[in-house]
Amino acid sequence: MNERMPVPGPEAVYEDAFGITLSSRIRLARNLRGVPFPDKASPAVRQDVVARVRAAAQEPLPDQRLLAACTPLERQQLFEDHLISHALLEGRPDSAVCLSLDCQRSAMVNEEDHLRIQALRPGLALRVAWADADALDDALERRLDYAFSAALGFLTSCPSNVGTGMRASVLMHLPALVLMGEMDPIVNGLGKIGLAVRGRWGEGTAALGHMFQISNQLTLGVPESRTIEDLEAIVKEVAGHEQNARERLRRERRTFAEDLAARAAGILGAARLMTAQEALERLSELRLGIALGLVRGIGMPQVDRLLREVQPAHLQAAVGRNLTAAERDMERAKRLRGELRRPPKPLAKRIP
Amino acid sequence: MLCESCHEKEATVHLTHVVDGKIHKHHLCEECAAQKGLDVHAQPLDLGGMMENLKAQLAQLKDTLDRPDAAGPAACPACGTTRMEILKRGRLGCDRCYEVFAAEMLPVVVSLQHGDQHLGKVPRRASAGLKNSVELARLRRELDQAVAAENYERAAKLRDQIKALPPGEAQP
Repeated sequence: MNERMPVPGPEAVYEDAFGITLSSRIRLARNLRGVPFPDKASPAVRQDVVARVRAAAQEPLPDQRLLAACTPLERQQLFEDHLISHALLEGRPDSAVCLSLDCQRSAMVNEEDHLRIQALRPGLALRVAWADADALDDALERRLDYAFSAALGFLTSCPSNVGTGMRASVLMHLPALVLMGEMDPIVNGLGKIGLAVRGRWGEGTAALGHMFQISNQLTLGVPESRTIEDLEAIVKEVAGHEQNARERLRRERRTFAEDLAARAAGILGAARLMTAQEALERLSELRLGIALGLVRGIGMPQVDRLLREVQPAHLQAAVGRNLTAAERDMERAKRLRGELRRPPKPLAKRIP
Repeated sequence: MLCESCHEKEATVHLTHVVDGKIHKHHLCEECAAQKGLDVHAQPLDLGGMMENLKAQLAQLKDTLDRPDAAGPAACPACGTTRMEILKRGRLGCDRCYEVFAAEMLPVVVSLQHGDQHLGKVPRRASAGLKNSVELARLRRELDQAVAAENYERAAKLRDQIKALPPGEAQP
């Protein structure tokens, strides 16, 4: 299960040489015509929906799981990989997830809507993700009849999703903007032009490790292509601000930046106990140090792999058993120490 | 940065306008901003007043929904969801609810969204009439924009395209 999501190659994500935009995601909300939405449906109806979607998704999404049959650890791992929502993690009745083998395409069944189709791509790749989601949507629609009206588009449980039912989002690493105190006005500004800014794991999660998820809010009255173009333009603009803030950080507050990165590297390479939150924060600072050219011998792909591996479920999956919180903190520190203890191994040896 | 109007003084007023989803930025000095009728020292938003407004609107909506003689059925015949449930949870029960409670839901949808007409993807299975309706809405929207931009050549083309659409009844 740990190998499900391919770790993106350097060329894919680090194209911009700054590694600011980590991933792009398209989510489509769909419901079946004439069937009550999951919250209103009886268990029998919900199970029938699962059966119908599974049959329709057999070819494109062969890895299909009922959430009720998954262990809590498996569920947590799916959540940490952005493959299921918080609602499914908590256990919505008769819910399921169908995944493509590379996990870049997936569908949640019986979330708030019957279907939540998802396409996930590394880097700034909204158009590619949309093409993926669109094709998957077409494939499923060959066997499923969607609820749709000419005026309101795709009909969804919550009126905030009607129309395209599309949520396009990107995950960005914006440490310099946060450290320079420039993130709040940006968050406010984005809100005013109809974009939402959330933490890495969606609604209600704080922006841990300087990670922000930016997504569209409006779904009715705007075609998908326009939403994607607009979001892409804004993301590029925010990335430009981050780049600019990094440049100023390096020029005007170099010692501060060096100190931050060196402390992060020191703590990660030496600590005996490390909470998930602290790991995300220190890895983020280290990542910034690498981007500024202040840390040698560690690459951004390695930090990004660690960011994923230090999450609670991934950590336990790697060890192969459930761990208590205290055991996890110890194990996490051990793993980080193992990779980041100084002096770091030469770059050429680590990344084939 | 210099004021974009007088090109002399430092721009201290930075405006971001959103018109029809497009972002326009303006950078002006205080004098030019004042000349354009912008109150630079405007009071912060009247949040109290806005809350009062919102409360009044909610109370009105609740009134409408509570009235036993309100138009239309009190519950969706397909899934049994009642008006009150929709109001409380902000969620509809099934696709039919959108028709049954259209009178109440449409203003809510419009207040949350960019308009009242879908302009995106149409399912392949949708009937020709349904596809036509969305296409017609899209062309009309573009026609309006072309006319507003005084691009009459484009407007004429769009008008011809609209005429060329096969006739048929608009679908709900």
